Amino acid sequence: MESSSVMESSMDLWKPVGTVKIRVYKYNPRKDFAPGWKEYEIEVSRGTTILDALLRIKEETDPSLAFRYSCGQALCGSCAMMVNGRQMLICRTRVLEVAKGGKIELRPLDNFPIIRDLACDFKSFFDKHRAVKPWIIRKDVEELENPTGDYKQTIEEYARYYQFTDCLKCGACYSACPTVATDHEYLGPQALSQAYRYIVDTRDDGLEERIAVVDSDHGCWRCHFATSCSDVCPKYVDPAQGIQLLKKLILRSKLGFKPHKPAEVLPSKIGEVKRG
Amino acid sequence: MRESTKMLLHYVTALIIIVTGLIHLLANNDPNVGKLISSNTYLYLGNMAIFLAALLYHAFNGIRVILIELVPDKCWTKLIGWAILLIGVVTYIVGFQVLLMALGLI
Repeated sequence: MESSSVMESSMDLWKPVGTVKIRVYKYNPRKDFAPGWKEYEIEVSRGTTILDALLRIKEETDPSLAFRYSCGQALCGSCAMMVNGRQMLICRTRVLEVAKGGKIELRPLDNFPIIRDLACDFKSFFDKHRAVKPWIIRKDVEELENPTGDYKQTIEEYARYYQFTDCLKCGACYSACPTVATDHEYLGPQALSQAYRYIVDTRDDGLEERIAVVDSDHGCWRCHFATSCSDVCPKYVDPAQGIQLLKKLILRSKLGFKPHKPAEVLPSKIGEVKRG
Repeated sequence: MRESTKMLLHYVTALIIIVTGLIHLLANNDPNVGKLISSNTYLYLGNMAIFLAALLYHAFNGIRVILIELVPDKCWTKLIGWAILLIGVVTYIVGFQVLLMALGLI
């Protein structure tokens, strides 16, 4: 009896509860003279996400509708778009959660060039991310090539950058940033917070290389601390804080303070395995 | 000059403006401080010269930041930097001359 009621309530999640009008931005820069809007009416249940709705529209109504998605579980960051004017991941946003008066408006992310409809071009975004060298840079090449152990890192040292490792690169912060809106050369909150993430990592030696990139005309000093980036991050990362900490770190490094002590190498079996 | 140096100067000049501006206000309005500073022309001139330099740097750097954000272009950024520096130096020379004239030193 109990299990059947549980079954019923979970089935309720997918029982149609009404219809919602979805207004979608339609634009193909190669063909269309100007962008337009198209409205679709769709039956939804309590559990229907916006991604589910768009997939159904594409299957049943308009196969030409273009949008980007991949994992469907808020892990890849591919499906970020403007939902009722706010940056959101559509795979984890339920239609009924955001429908205002039975309507939803979808448009591509602000501050990105449009490829088609809701799909944006992320090239400059990823170029900027790559520019800050988002990988561990080491000077001890010998240890890297022939490791003798692990790099020691305490919980406190890990906690300094942990939140920034959650970044999905969905582009929501970049889209919400008012500086990016006017200064297209600005590195943006994502790249800058990732620069901070790698600089404070005790295993990293790339301070000078990254400072040369972020301490530039269109680097971290262009952040006016509007905090829109932190406000819209679907993973609750705080890029605005990362940028302020990065500024502090740059000023401290000018005074001769290093961001961290270099990580010691703790001998382990890794080296033996590699050499063996 | 790295951007961090320019911005560090921006913050430092903000503090200098507060301190020297306060001295200037007190020198002109508080009889005790006025006696101490205004009686010594060179002390007053020194304070005003520092105040003017800090104010001009802070203001023109602010304008430079706004302009390079509005037109993000490498050539433009360089051009703006040099143009602002030139305008700043000229304005400072003119301002300092006015100060000297006001104090009756020229």
